[in-house]
Amino acid sequence: MLAVLARRLANVVPTLLAVVALVFLLFSVLPGSFISGMNEDGRSTIDPAVMERMRKEMGLDDPLPQRFAKYVAHTAVGDLGTSFRTREPVTRLIGARIWPSLKLVFAAMTFAIAVGVTLGFLAALKPGSLIDTISMVGAISGLSLSQFWFGLMLMYLFALTLGWLPSFGYGDGGLRYLILPAVALGVGPMALLARTTRAAVLDVLNADFVRTARSKGMSERLVVKWHVLRNALVLVVTIVGLQFGSLMGQAVVVEKLFSWPGVGSLLVDSVFQRDMPAVQGCILMIVLFFLVINTLVDMAYVAIDPRIRYR
Amino acid sequence: MRKLLWLAAALALSGAGLAQAQDTPRKGGSVRMTAPYAASFGSFDPHTTPRAQDDIVNKALHRTLYNWDTANSKLVLELAKSVSASPDGLTYTYKLRDDAYFHNGRKMTADDVIWSFIRIMDGKKGYPAARYVRIIKGAVEVEKGQATTISGLRKIDDYTLEMTLTDRVDPGYYFFSGTTAILPKEEAEKPDFGSHPVGLGPFKFKEHIPGSRVVLERFDKFYKPGKPYLDKLEVLIMAEAAARDVAFRNKEIDTSILGPAQYVAYKADPELSKGILEVPEMFTRAMTFNHSVKPFDNKKVRQAVNYAIDSNLIIKRLVKDKAYRAVSWLPPSSAAFDKTAKPYPYDPDKAKKLLAEAGLPNGFEFELTTSQNESWGLPIVEAIIPMLGKVGIKLKPKLVEVTVLTEIAMKGEHQAYIGSNLTGPDSLATLRCYYSKTPRTACNYTGYSNPAYDKLLDDAAQQSDPAKRDELLKQANNVLYEDAPVWFFNYNKAVLAYQPWVHGLQANPTEITHQYPEDIWVDSRSPAK
Amino acid sequence: MKLKGGTSLWIGGGLVFIAIAAALAAPLIALTDPVLDANLMNAEIPPGWDFPFGTDAQGRDIYSRIVYGARVSLTVGIASQILNSLIGVTLGLTAGYWGGWWDDLVSGLTNLMLAIPSLVFALAIMAILGPGLVSLVIALGLTSWSYSCRITRAQVLSLKSQGYVQAAQVLGYGDLRIMFTQVLPNILGPLIVIATLGMGGAILAEAALSFLGLGIRPPFPSWGSMLSEARDQIRTVPWLSVFPGLAIFLTVLGLNLLGDGLRDILDPQSTSRRA
Repeated sequence: MLAVLARRLANVVPTLLAVVALVFLLFSVLPGSFISGMNEDGRSTIDPAVMERMRKEMGLDDPLPQRFAKYVAHTAVGDLGTSFRTREPVTRLIGARIWPSLKLVFAAMTFAIAVGVTLGFLAALKPGSLIDTISMVGAISGLSLSQFWFGLMLMYLFALTLGWLPSFGYGDGGLRYLILPAVALGVGPMALLARTTRAAVLDVLNADFVRTARSKGMSERLVVKWHVLRNALVLVVTIVGLQFGSLMGQAVVVEKLFSWPGVGSLLVDSVFQRDMPAVQGCILMIVLFFLVINTLVDMAYVAIDPRIRYR
Repeated sequence: MRKLLWLAAALALSGAGLAQAQDTPRKGGSVRMTAPYAASFGSFDPHTTPRAQDDIVNKALHRTLYNWDTANSKLVLELAKSVSASPDGLTYTYKLRDDAYFHNGRKMTADDVIWSFIRIMDGKKGYPAARYVRIIKGAVEVEKGQATTISGLRKIDDYTLEMTLTDRVDPGYYFFSGTTAILPKEEAEKPDFGSHPVGLGPFKFKEHIPGSRVVLERFDKFYKPGKPYLDKLEVLIMAEAAARDVAFRNKEIDTSILGPAQYVAYKADPELSKGILEVPEMFTRAMTFNHSVKPFDNKKVRQAVNYAIDSNLIIKRLVKDKAYRAVSWLPPSSAAFDKTAKPYPYDPDKAKKLLAEAGLPNGFEFELTTSQNESWGLPIVEAIIPMLGKVGIKLKPKLVEVTVLTEIAMKGEHQAYIGSNLTGPDSLATLRCYYSKTPRTACNYTGYSNPAYDKLLDDAAQQSDPAKRDELLKQANNVLYEDAPVWFFNYNKAVLAYQPWVHGLQANPTEITHQYPEDIWVDSRSPAK
Repeated sequence: MKLKGGTSLWIGGGLVFIAIAAALAAPLIALTDPVLDANLMNAEIPPGWDFPFGTDAQGRDIYSRIVYGARVSLTVGIASQILNSLIGVTLGLTAGYWGGWWDDLVSGLTNLMLAIPSLVFALAIMAILGPGLVSLVIALGLTSWSYSCRITRAQVLSLKSQGYVQAAQVLGYGDLRIMFTQVLPNILGPLIVIATLGMGGAILAEAALSFLGLGIRPPFPSWGSMLSEARDQIRTVPWLSVFPGLAIFLTVLGLNLLGDGLRDILDPQSTSRRA
């Protein structure tokens, strides 16, 4: 177990480094304008000569390799630079928004697993029935859905028309504010999980059926069930792991839609503001989180079925 | 008609003021204001930030030499008890307050004023207030590093300060901006001053949760007796109009800036409509043409644009009447505003005729730089496109971030851009933007140059009689109307919604969110603790 | 899960055909010009006889904008998938064929791509390239080539292990000829399936990017940017939220069903279940 963890972590570091390099290179092509931090609503003016002096002070004119080396060194100790826009350390800027993002993503995944697996289960137990058809139609629709459109529809129905839930924002952090964004975000993975669970459970039932025909006895049936169920669990974990990636991406849009104060909406705002340090920091955070999740998923594999081996 | 509207508005406002004055202010309670312009605060060190958002808080934490008296629409001394000007109008002697304390307990003296202004002129820092302090003799030398003190600032004694200017202007216009606040040297030099500020204001700093809110509490040693009334002042960050709408209706916030959509909704609501503060702000929205780009060097073309756009319809339909139609450059609150002038009428045929006269019968094409702003940005541009299209002008929009607009304007990289321009309270300074000698980087974004106009401004600057000066400025303003260096769109109508238990709000035309919080109080209906 | 028989193929194909037809015939079937025919006097009219889907806050006919918006979505979808396949196939072919350090590099690159959520990466690229149709195609084409790369490489390796490649080399065939005549025909089927399903993903991604304001910018219509306007105007123009989203949904659904149906025909043993 520990050996596996060590191996996975060893993989994470070079990947992270490569991502840092990629992100840095990409953004050095278009240096952000720190001048945007000086103006608000386009109203103020700064002497151009003074701005030049400040550029030099911030080291924006140094050669590329030097800037990259400095960036890596700083990132390693957790210093992600200073935001062009607010002059705060980027780490502090992002730190304030990590918890809302985590809440959203985990809530969405929980919803997806709870509803998706249940639907898939029910659909498999009664194949060909109305529930089966509805669930599966719903499932394939969920895959074709634009998650932010779904969120917009939810917002219109539940918040603006019926008034049951708040239409956006984090509010006081209460559950009511989390429901709509989490459902909107989770509907995609939910659809996939429903489909996969249904397929997996059907396999279980078929195998079971064959077995029953041989009437070997209770304990063997249980053992069979346990093994196949474990494989089904592996499948679910696989999907969850794969889906987390696209979930992080979609979270960016859902966060913007619901004005959810997470890392995703910060990323979008920073891109518009040309606040490059913040953009780099956000991307790094998202990728780091994704890699951590992947590692955890791999650990979960080993926990479920120690026989599973991989490179 | 316009006159009637102004009269009615003035009466309504004064009536409201009368009603408020009858209630006696209650000491205690707290108010939750909102900061609507950005998703965060920049800094609470007022020298470093020109941002309107930060000034909302800094008006409570810090003080400047002058304040803007909204009730009487003029500048008043704040940190000084009296001032006397020399006959040549260049030297002002201030008798400073001797009862002003910083939040750390120390009294303010003339040394603090001098130190603050020297700090502002630090050439390595590029502080926004430098453009104001530069008016003091000797400030430019400090900025360039040639001197360490400002020769035009002389301490006579602890509470008497002599200031000599380089130009005959009213220093009040320069030193009421929040960026010229007076700070205590021993605190301002600490590295975390921007996040743990100490100032002269009625409230002192309690805590700041980044991205969320700032909490301030009453400073008991504030120099206005009995004020501030409030125990606590919170400023919550809420950049989305829709979010503020929800919070306001839930009574979670006490004030909220209204966008066009909410303006319509609140006016229609019998309860909410009672708590709306409207004021024509000193901002003129316009499409600024770059006169060094053809065909905008031709007056007929510029006038054609003014005729081709149905501004009233846009204001009514898109801005939902949350603006006043612009006549010329100066806003109606200016003393030099010509109340008899009429705006350009909507006349596409005349526009086509003018274009033909300018040698462009088939119209032309140009690129318009714009921001996303819902009141003077992309939605307006989208409405203009078909209108200009009808007279043969093809418009290509170029979308940029609001903060980048000024950069572009200063560099003259635009063909035309649409933006919101500060046009007050100093009308002379405002009109100076069209003075030919004013550089593009200062505010002459059009590159306008007209000798007759220059003469009017020169005469006005020399004129010491305010009435005669305003008359000259009025004429200059009318010249601008005729020459149409820009498309005159509208003057902003700032709308602030407030809860029924809030009193003492000022209809500040320079920026409605910049309230002097020592005058605000809440009655017992306030739910905030 | 599949619908009975070839139903998914027919329904999917039908939806996709409608979308493509609408895009191609836009000037003919639209009622007005999507940008120039804006009349503020007609603003915010609910769906009715004159304007089947209603008008927006600028007074533009929503139906016409949806029809023109189809052009954007389909162009981005098709072009980005072509780019995708080109990159993926080239990398996969060469990696599998030549192996060695090149193979390692490509595998490393593929892993790197999979470590970054594709929308985030596309966002970053759009931030650099700036908004617009071409940038969208490039950004989306650059972010999802890993699947086509993988299957191409797997196919090459499989052929190699079965000796086909060596046999062809003995016969004197050049590398390129082998790649084209042996490898490509075998991967064409799965490739088409991936491209079809990928188109759906690309259209969703374009909608998301335009919604955020990074893709197609107003005043030009795109389903995503229309949804962004809808969100801001949700109280005054609620019907604007319905139609662009519905258009996206039906088009992507069509592509997904079509892809599923094609998979049954062209790639029956496929275990790749991609979202």
